[in-house]
Amino acid sequence: MRVVVRTVSELCITAGALIVLFVVYVLFWTGVKADTVMDDQIDQLQNQWSKGSVRQQPQETAGASAAPAEPAPYRKGKPFAIMYIPRLGFTWNKPVLEGTEVGTLKKGLGHYANTARLGQEGNFSVAGHRRTYGDPFKDFPKLRRGDAVVLTDGTTWFTYRIDKGPYKTVPTDIEVIDPVPRTSGYTRPGRYLTLTTCDPEWGHSHRLIVWAHLDSTQPVEDGKPVALRR
Amino acid sequence: MPCAVSLVRYGVSVVPWCDGRDGMYGWIWRHLPGNAWVKALLSLVLVVAVVYVLFQYVFPWAEPLLPFNDVTVDNQ
Repeated sequence: MRVVVRTVSELCITAGALIVLFVVYVLFWTGVKADTVMDDQIDQLQNQWSKGSVRQQPQETAGASAAPAEPAPYRKGKPFAIMYIPRLGFTWNKPVLEGTEVGTLKKGLGHYANTARLGQEGNFSVAGHRRTYGDPFKDFPKLRRGDAVVLTDGTTWFTYRIDKGPYKTVPTDIEVIDPVPRTSGYTRPGRYLTLTTCDPEWGHSHRLIVWAHLDSTQPVEDGKPVALRR
Repeated sequence: MPCAVSLVRYGVSVVPWCDGRDGMYGWIWRHLPGNAWVKALLSLVLVVAVVYVLFQYVFPWAEPLLPFNDVTVDNQ
């Protein structure tokens, strides 16, 4: 009898310790890891940009009459832009990586492959963690109409303005990242942006969405856009 | 590793730490070499090693099985 009691108590202690450690890992350690990884990604991007390896070879040669020239394709799992959302904090900036795989989203925000490129016609769609891995979209519900979402790819600043959101939907509602999302209120093709994250904060039953349209662009040489100036 | 009384027969046990003496942790403690201080130090090293393995390999594997990761609308 004593052996049984002792074994059960030892197992309980072990299981308890395991659970506590797991909670520490999820709440704290993923954040620590993600912060360093995201800083790395941003450093990597800034190095790349400062070396001038931002490829703009076909400079205005082809029929690229619009401001952004035809850039190199995004590489899967690699960062290509930095996102700033002043509403989430003036120091809030996150790398945007290509793809929405689990491993990619641990390093930053993920751009849905096969949605539009940054600043191009269509719907540039980005997913990010609400909780864990640095909590990038923790304050997602605070986003309001008119808020700026600023992105840079090293050559151009893109300022998007939020039109609708946060809109709550179900995970299977893939229409929200369509080129012209039906529920967003947009009726004509344009240069749109969609952000998605999970809802409730720790759950997975729903998704929160915001939509924005491209408000302005300016070359990086002209300095930060108005939305990022204090 | 549930350790039932029936496993202990004739003083010999099927599972090494189920010898009716002092449980799994006691068994580890008795098998560590040296005096109490050395044993304590070794236990600490063991604990750190276990935590490292958990944080480095086990939890990163287990975490995606929980729902915090589902942030996309198409679950690609």
